[in-house]
Amino acid sequence: MSLSDLVLSIADNKQMLGLRYAEWATRAPSLEADIAAAAMGLDDLGHSRVLYGCLEPLGADPRGPERESDPASLRALAYFDEPWSEWAQFVAANAVLDTAFTVMVEACVNGSVDVLQHRLRKMLLEERYHFLHGRSWLKSGIDPKPLNRAWREAIEWFGPPDGEVEALHREGKLSLGPRELRARLEEQLETKSPDVHVDWKGWDPLRRRSRPGAIDEQTFGMLRGLEEKRFAATKEA
Amino acid sequence: MGPRGLTTYKRVSGDAVEYEVFARKTRAEPLHQVGSVVAPDDDLAMAYARATYDEERWCEMAIVRKEHIIELWQPGEGS
Repeated sequence: MSLSDLVLSIADNKQMLGLRYAEWATRAPSLEADIAAAAMGLDDLGHSRVLYGCLEPLGADPRGPERESDPASLRALAYFDEPWSEWAQFVAANAVLDTAFTVMVEACVNGSVDVLQHRLRKMLLEERYHFLHGRSWLKSGIDPKPLNRAWREAIEWFGPPDGEVEALHREGKLSLGPRELRARLEEQLETKSPDVHVDWKGWDPLRRRSRPGAIDEQTFGMLRGLEEKRFAATKEA
Repeated sequence: MGPRGLTTYKRVSGDAVEYEVFARKTRAEPLHQVGSVVAPDDDLAMAYARATYDEERWCEMAIVRKEHIIELWQPGEGS
């Protein structure tokens, strides 16, 4: 795995996070939360575009043609495979996963790679409000099931203690390794992570997850523009 | 569950508080009120204010709890 693979993973995850946020723009518990969901969705979709734009300057764009036909080739976490049915899932993703992606972006900004230092810095300003939103809702208390799942997937996403993220850290390209990323996430959320045992043998280093599966068909169609094409055909008829 | 599907969901703990939102586009102009938000705490109020009133390129935005505003007089009362 290269730094480009990691940046692609952040990009794919932010794209899916943005889409899942947007799905709640008319379903959140209050009008203010609806608007915040829409705004955060737009932010994360924008962040994913910036991250995709970093792949070429990094020298190796790992995106292949399989991304057009195989949803399992996308590198988003299993947490985003299906639309969320409960507000608690939104809050757990907002507090834990969004912040996990932010601490990785921080590690890129404070690392030695010029293009990431400059292009990703603005994200950190915008992410401050995602964090405030997630942390505040988290403090209100939510169902522990999605919360524990989000923690597990965040820890898996940071990667094994002696894996590629740690290697990138040692090379100075990232300012934090998996251990420090987890500690930073705990510090930000003012809580200890649950006890998580990961069997790294079954972990996919490109998709940075252990669970098999892929995003649902409708979401995949939407990402490829197929949903829009279907709408256009209906209009013409 | 109501028509929105989640209307029975309990909002964040604590009573909702009203906040006034102030902003300005340049350093030369004074802060002026651009709207208000309701939230149970300052963190969420900041997130809501930024999400709701982010359509302009503000150089500064601030929120204040409405209850902390000290009114000298109100409409209809002479100064």
